[in-house]
Amino acid sequence: MIEVQDLTKVFRKPVRGSGLSGMVKTLFSRKYDEIRAVDGISFTVPDGEIVGYIGANGAGKSTTIKMMCGILTPTSGSVRIDGVEPYRKRRQVAQNIGVVFGQKTQLWWDIPLVESFKVLKEIYQISDADYAGRMAFLGEVLDITRFLSQPVRTLSLGERMRADLAASMLHNPRILFLDEPTIGMDVLVKEKIRQAIHALNRTYGTTVVLTTHDMTDIEDLCSRIILLEKGAILYDGPLKSLKNRFGNLKTLTLTVPAEIRAETAPRLSPELAISEEDGRLVLRFDADRLPLEQVIQYAFRELRAMDMKIAEISVGDVVKTILEQQEAEHAETI
Amino acid sequence: MLKRYKPFLRAGAMDTLAFRFNILMWALITVCEVACLVFLWLAVYRSSVDGMDAVIHGFSFREMISYVVLTTVFGFVTFNNSTLWNINTDIKKGTVGNYLIKPISYRGKFAATSLGSLLTMTALFGLPLYAAALLVLSGLGFLPDLAFPGFFAHLGLFLLSGLCASLLNDTISYVFGVLCFYTSSGWGLNSLKETLISFLSGTLLPLAFFPAGLRDVLSWMPFAGMSQDPVLILMMKYDLATSLRCVAVSAAWIVALELFAKGLFSRAVRKVTVQGG
Amino acid sequence: MRYVHLYFTCIRRSILSRLEYKKDTIVALSSFFFSNLCSLAALYFILQAIPALAGYSLPEVGFFYGFSMLPIALDHLFSDEFWLVAYRRVQEGDMDMFFLRPVPVMFQVFAETFQPEGFGELIVGVALISVCASQLTVTVSIGAVAVLCVGAVFGAVIITSLKVAMSALAFIFKRSGPLLQVVYNFSAYAKYPLAIYPAFLRALLIFVLPFGLFISLPVDTLLTGSHDPWLLSLAIIGCAAVFFALAVWVWTRCERRYESTGS
Repeated sequence: MIEVQDLTKVFRKPVRGSGLSGMVKTLFSRKYDEIRAVDGISFTVPDGEIVGYIGANGAGKSTTIKMMCGILTPTSGSVRIDGVEPYRKRRQVAQNIGVVFGQKTQLWWDIPLVESFKVLKEIYQISDADYAGRMAFLGEVLDITRFLSQPVRTLSLGERMRADLAASMLHNPRILFLDEPTIGMDVLVKEKIRQAIHALNRTYGTTVVLTTHDMTDIEDLCSRIILLEKGAILYDGPLKSLKNRFGNLKTLTLTVPAEIRAETAPRLSPELAISEEDGRLVLRFDADRLPLEQVIQYAFRELRAMDMKIAEISVGDVVKTILEQQEAEHAETI
Repeated sequence: MLKRYKPFLRAGAMDTLAFRFNILMWALITVCEVACLVFLWLAVYRSSVDGMDAVIHGFSFREMISYVVLTTVFGFVTFNNSTLWNINTDIKKGTVGNYLIKPISYRGKFAATSLGSLLTMTALFGLPLYAAALLVLSGLGFLPDLAFPGFFAHLGLFLLSGLCASLLNDTISYVFGVLCFYTSSGWGLNSLKETLISFLSGTLLPLAFFPAGLRDVLSWMPFAGMSQDPVLILMMKYDLATSLRCVAVSAAWIVALELFAKGLFSRAVRKVTVQGG
Repeated sequence: MRYVHLYFTCIRRSILSRLEYKKDTIVALSSFFFSNLCSLAALYFILQAIPALAGYSLPEVGFFYGFSMLPIALDHLFSDEFWLVAYRRVQEGDMDMFFLRPVPVMFQVFAETFQPEGFGELIVGVALISVCASQLTVTVSIGAVAVLCVGAVFGAVIITSLKVAMSALAFIFKRSGPLLQVVYNFSAYAKYPLAIYPAFLRALLIFVLPFGLFISLPVDTLLTGSHDPWLLSLAIIGCAAVFFALAVWVWTRCERRYESTGS
């Protein structure tokens, strides 16, 4: 079980001047900026759950994960893994967790994959029987047997990620932290990795916390998501009810006469967003606030619609919209 | 044409400024190293037949100390070069290919970065360090009085030979960098390069101490021009004719090595084995 | 026992990695060899010009030089990864993997790299000692041989301890490579007889950064019988014990300060 209580992390970063003159200035003085990467978050993850930990770049995902595995110390608040604070008793917790950072590998770059596994076997004190059994299982689920004798640097991104997953599962950890496990992979490889995560979760009851940018990852894997914005939790709960939380969002796609344009069309209400896509008008609104009936009438009468398609916005779209907004704000602040 | 290389010139200058702490630590390391050499030479001259007034292979004790100090400053200002490592990184990451399709030459990029670094180092550290070293050394009577205007001619030739030394160093780094294509890693080649240069350029010991045959061969090699010759020009131990000859030899070697590097690079690229796929 | 087994597993891995770059390893080994030869040649050229250095003959100076390589080589074999910790790994947040495993971090750093280049130094050192010793006319006592062995082995322990302590500071300052370099470079002073240095430097090299204690004094003991070999051995072993304990203490204190990078 993972318990996170009022977790906060503040970084101090030296302010560097830009350009050559700024460089010369930092040679003589140094100022610091305080960045609250994680700001007082709390949640609990029970055993066997798969949690999607999502948010835009810079929302504080990696920082939280690093605190949960003990390589960052919280500024305040606490993390407990089965009752133990990982940044205090790192070695004790290390035996019970597996970690994969999508961008970095824990495998040794230059040697055949199987040699890395042999070292990990000794590091985690895995018995010969357990090692053989798990290698057989992981070899099948992750399909890594084929390239066991190849040096890691010759593996493709997807192969390397599967190898890294296997490495992090070798000692049968109770909790698996995955930071961007599908980043930069094509659809088929992503699918393979998702199946593997499912299989691990079912077979060993492993708790999985994963961060991702991929909506399909979330929809396929996660029974629960934690949505993060600027270091604070925006939403925590099952994927299904996320939608209700952000209203009963619907889109109407209309075919209208050419003279009706999005900018000049008569308005019904500020609650209704009108845009043009592929020569059609798209109306977005929250059906709880603006009755569907009223919008349809407006579409026929005022906009002279000739054809109409009604769609509910999918959960994926909701999350995507939230993330895109965050990214846009993040980009502006930089 | 040259404008394209400006960003790299700038990058070289930035890298050099980036770590003030490193420069302080370097100064400490260097003072320790120079002190060790000074004590060694002190013992050597004391132990010689003529005692402290001895002139060994053309160097009095005071000239030897000046030589040690000035080669150290010269090395710090001139050999600030990461060409070999950058090529090595490009090879390991498989990014060499990216440069082949860009409109700038791979070689030109490194030359520009090195020049940027040389200019910054000279302006920021070189001028004060040389000035301080020369004033202190001649003030102590370790160097002959700076006799003007003859000194200006030597100073000019020194700056010219310093530029040659920097270019030679960059070219040799580039050649060794390209050799990384064949060894897949730069550690060994880098230490081989450093060893070769420090021994054969007279940084470790003036070439006058070497046996006669070796000394003659080395006077026609590119190495002496990378450390010993510029420093001896500055110390006015060389007359103008000898100084000019040194600069000419260096210039000729730059051309020859560049041509060699060009051939080597195109051969190496043909057998590029991209790492990591 | 577990850690012995684990150590050999890791070292085997390190050698396998090195063998992936056979050509580079060969170039590195030969350049190391060559670099030592160059320094020796320089020293030889200098000594050609004078009858003796501060009273020491050419083979005697050579013996100092050769013996100084032994503890340095032994340290080089086993603790090369600490350079990377001091210069790069902490700064780049590249220590995460060590901290995510249920094994002490210091052990993992030792086990990460076995540096065969140390053998090159060892061979040159032993060869030089042998050549120089054959030209010396000293009576060799058991005590002198013992103190030389103690100096080489426990000297390596002292060098490694200094390295561990200095690189541990990277956990606080992000980068301690240059500092480590300053301390380590003092070993260069011990290549020559202590007699060429002024008194304060001699004291520094015996009591503070004790390269003189385990290199120069044992050789002096062999050449001139200047010290009691058994007492000197005891002093070196005691010094090594203190330095090692201090190094472990500094490392464990600093290690707690490690933080991964933010993003």
